[in-house]
Amino acid sequence: MAKALTGLAAKAPGLIKGVVDYSTPKLNTFWHYARVELTPPTPADIPKITQGLNSLVKSARTGKWKEVPVKEAWLNTLITAEIAFWFFVGECIGKGTIVGYQV
Amino acid sequence: MAALAPVQVSPLIKFGRWSALLLGIMWGSHRYNTLKASETAWRVEEAERKIVKDAHKATEKTRLNREELLYLADQAGVKVPPNF
Repeated sequence: MAKALTGLAAKAPGLIKGVVDYSTPKLNTFWHYARVELTPPTPADIPKITQGLNSLVKSARTGKWKEVPVKEAWLNTLITAEIAFWFFVGECIGKGTIVGYQV
Repeated sequence: MAALAPVQVSPLIKFGRWSALLLGIMWGSHRYNTLKASETAWRVEEAERKIVKDAHKATEKTRLNREELLYLADQAGVKVPPNF
């Protein structure tokens, strides 16, 4: 056990460098996409958000939602499902465990 | 696969995702606190009831034990000492 620990401590700088070298390009690509796609909306986007909500409400009111092509309707369903899944991810974060409430 | 350009996600979708995440976190912590409060209250009551129950169980056990020994003594023909 002691020998394994000293061996690990001797190899640790090399291991850490290996991990960093492997993960840096991957983190860079992740950051490249996340900076555009995953950032929260800024206050500058508020008019676009209200515009989007109004168009949804109008489409529901006028019956335009019945004219939407099936492919687009399927995409909208998937996006709605993804937004619902984020709620459950948030719930898991809020309660502290993945499965069940540990009271 | 060639590097794809990042998609310009509609702000409505981003707003929906982040608000769903934040609402979920708030809901999860709120529900956890509610459930934890009611569970600790129940545990306190149960601890009080446990004292009474354990005392009752102990007296029942000694009583049944004594009756069993008396029955066995009767069956085996053993003389029971007084004040048993």
